[in-house]
Amino acid sequence: MAHHWHDIHHLFGAMDFFRNQMNSLLQDADRSYITDRSWGIRDGFPRTNLSDTGDNLELFAEVPGVSKEKLNVKIQGNYLEISGTRLAASPEGYTLHRNERVSSSFSRSFTLPYEVDATKVTATLNDGILKIVLPKSEAAKPRQVTIS
Amino acid sequence: MSESEIIARSEQPADVVSQLPTVAPPVDTFENEKEILLHVDLPGVQKDAIVINIDNGKLTLSAVRSVPTAGAQAWREIADVQFRRIFAVPQSIDVNNVRAELKDGVLCLHLPKSEAAGPRQIEITTG
Repeated sequence: MAHHWHDIHHLFGAMDFFRNQMNSLLQDADRSYITDRSWGIRDGFPRTNLSDTGDNLELFAEVPGVSKEKLNVKIQGNYLEISGTRLAASPEGYTLHRNERVSSSFSRSFTLPYEVDATKVTATLNDGILKIVLPKSEAAKPRQVTIS
Repeated sequence: MSESEIIARSEQPADVVSQLPTVAPPVDTFENEKEILLHVDLPGVQKDAIVINIDNGKLTLSAVRSVPTAGAQAWREIADVQFRRIFAVPQSIDVNNVRAELKDGVLCLHLPKSEAAGPRQIEITTG
């Protein structure tokens, strides 16, 4: 029996590997917003970019159709969480023909590569893109070392 | 033509072609008695970067999105893309009165039905 379990486990391991490969293929290509969500779990919303500009970390998140009031950004140390609700409900008096846009609440959390100063974080929402500027805490900032 | 000239010509850069990947944005389609309404997700697209063309019963929507980048990228899931989608528009749409608005990265496209396109009762006359 134990032998059989091992086989099954093995099989699922191979499937996971295949799925990850497919995911990375599709994610990189950014091809279709509709199809690549059907691969695996829909845990990648919102999509984000993170860059390091020396003193700050900058995070961009793609949140179309989410108003400022419906977004929450939480920071603790180097832990960042973006959550919110996206409403894509039928407007009053209209009948729905086709629904492709996902309407749900979402939450995504990140472990940032550095500790950030939570009091100085700024967030702006523009054209469906949320930009969060996270100043690194003093200890994490780059420092010039003088050679003696 | 000297030999050096031939070499110089062959070293000219090739024509720069648009290399942005084309992406089909998700669209919700609604309808009421007066109009057809489309909601299109276009995150990060500026108003000026959207082109909507209606020609010969086809509505072409295309928009370029470029994401600002600075510093070293830790990860990148949002890319510069061209959003593009083509819809077949019924003849009953009043093309001259199509309007669109952009809010929070969502484009609302109103396609009003023309007056003449309403349901009409045909009276039968006896000859």
